[in-house]
Amino acid sequence: MSATENALNYEISTLYSNHHGWLQGWLCKKLGNAFDAADLAQDTFIRILSSRDVAAIKEPRAYLTTVAKGLVINWYQRQALERAYLDALALLPEPQAPSAEQRYIILETLYEIDAMLDALPSRVRQVFLLSQIEGLKYEEIAVQIDAALITVKRYMKQAFLHCLAFHE
Amino acid sequence: MRRPEAIDPRILDEAAEWLMQLGAGATEEERRACERWSQRSPEHARAWARAQLLLNKLGGLPSSLAMPALNREPAAGRRAAMAKLAAILALAPASWGIWKVIDAQDWMADCHTAVGEQRVMHLADNSEVTLNTATAFNVHFNSAQRNINLRSGEILIQTAREATASYRPFTVSTTQGRMEALGTRFSVRLEEETTHLAVLEGAVRITPNQNMLQPQVLRAGQQVTFTKNTIGEISEADNAVVAWTEGMLVADRMRLTDFAAELSRYRSGIVRVDPTVAHVRVSGAFPLRDTDKALAMLVSTYEVDAITRLRGHWITLVAR
Repeated sequence: MSATENALNYEISTLYSNHHGWLQGWLCKKLGNAFDAADLAQDTFIRILSSRDVAAIKEPRAYLTTVAKGLVINWYQRQALERAYLDALALLPEPQAPSAEQRYIILETLYEIDAMLDALPSRVRQVFLLSQIEGLKYEEIAVQIDAALITVKRYMKQAFLHCLAFHE
Repeated sequence: MRRPEAIDPRILDEAAEWLMQLGAGATEEERRACERWSQRSPEHARAWARAQLLLNKLGGLPSSLAMPALNREPAAGRRAAMAKLAAILALAPASWGIWKVIDAQDWMADCHTAVGEQRVMHLADNSEVTLNTATAFNVHFNSAQRNINLRSGEILIQTAREATASYRPFTVSTTQGRMEALGTRFSVRLEEETTHLAVLEGAVRITPNQNMLQPQVLRAGQQVTFTKNTIGEISEADNAVVAWTEGMLVADRMRLTDFAAELSRYRSGIVRVDPTVAHVRVSGAFPLRDTDKALAMLVSTYEVDAITRLRGHWITLVAR
C-alpha cells in the first residue's frame, strides 16, 4: 500500500468515525426508518470514497449532508416507483403474478430504467415508454400524443442516445 | 467520471439512430446494414453490445407492471410530491408510538405494521394486541361480538375480561377458520395456506372454515397448525413461541432454511440459503430488531458465510 493510499485511508476512517453517527441519525429522521438510513449512510461514504478527494473536504458536515440529500431524493423516487409497482402487482390476476425472485429482479430493473429516464423531458419519456414497454408503433404513438411522426422519431432517438450515454 | 469502456459520442449517436430505425420496423437490407455498421471497429461492436443490453432489459419487463411503475406523473409533479412527502416524514417520528385507542362501538379499523416493525395496541375492551412484523388485521367490535380478522402476519392477544354485563365472545378469524378465546393469552400466525395457534394461558376453541370436524379446544401450553379443513397434530408450546414480542428469535435446532425464512420476515429483500448448508441446525437467541446483527451472530457461530448483494437486499448464506 502506498503512502498516499495510507493517508487517504486514514482520512476516510477519521471522517467515518467522526461523522457516521450523526449522519445516520439525520438520515433516520429524514426517512423515518433505521434500515434505509443505515444503507444511505453507507452509500454516502461510498460516494465520497470513490471521489477520492477526502482531504479537500473543508466542511465535512455540509459536504456529507449535500451528498446524503441527493441520495435521499433518489430514495423517495425509488419509494414512489416501488409503490406504483406494488399497486400494479396487486392488480395482476393470480396466475400471472411473478415469483418472489422475479418480482425482485423486475423491481431492480425498473429502478435502473427509472433512474436512466429521469432526466428526460416527460413527453420524450412517455413516447419512449409507449414504444419500448407498451410496444406501440411510431405511427400509433404519433396519433396518441397528437404529434408528427418525425417528432416521435426524434424523441425516440433522443431517448435511446440518452440511455446509451447514461453510464459514461 | 469517464470509465475505461467509454465510447466515442459520435458512435453512440449512430447507435441511437440505428435503434430508432430498427424500432420503426426495418427491412432485411437495413438490418444487414446495421450489422455491417456494428462490425466496423471494436468500439462500434461495444456500442452495439450496449444497445443490445438496453433492448434486452427493456424487453424483459412485463408491460402490465412496468408501464404503471415507470409512467408515473411527470417529474416536476413527482418532485413536488416528494418534497411534500419529505416534509411529512420529517414530522413523523414525533407522532410514532402514540397508539390511538379504538374506543367507538361498531368501529372498523385497519391495523398494520411494516416489515421489521412491531407494536402493541389496546382495543376498546382493553384487550391487548401485539403485532409482529408485516401484520395486518381488521377490528370488528359491536354489541354482539369482538372480532379480529387477521389478514397477514402474526399477533399475540391478551384478552380482557368484559366489564359490561353482557358477554361478547372474542374471536380471531383467518381464511382458515375461527378461534374463540376463552379468557386467554394466545398467538395467531397466518401463513399462505395455514394458521398457527399457540395458547399460553386459558383456552381457545378452533373452528376451521370448511369443516366436517368438531370444533377443537386448545389448552394453555399447546400449539397447532390448521388449514380450512384439517387440524394438525397438537404439540407443546412455551414462551419461546412469543419471544418475538421481546424482539428475539429463539431457535432450538432450527433448520437454516427455516431460520432464514424467519429472519426474512423482519427485513425487506431476500435471504436465500445455498443447498450445501440447508441442513445446518441453528440454536440460540437472535435479535429481530437488528437482523444484520442476527446474521453477523450466525456467521460468527456457524460454518456459514453471508454474501450480500444489492445493498443488503439480497443475502445468500453459503458454506464457509
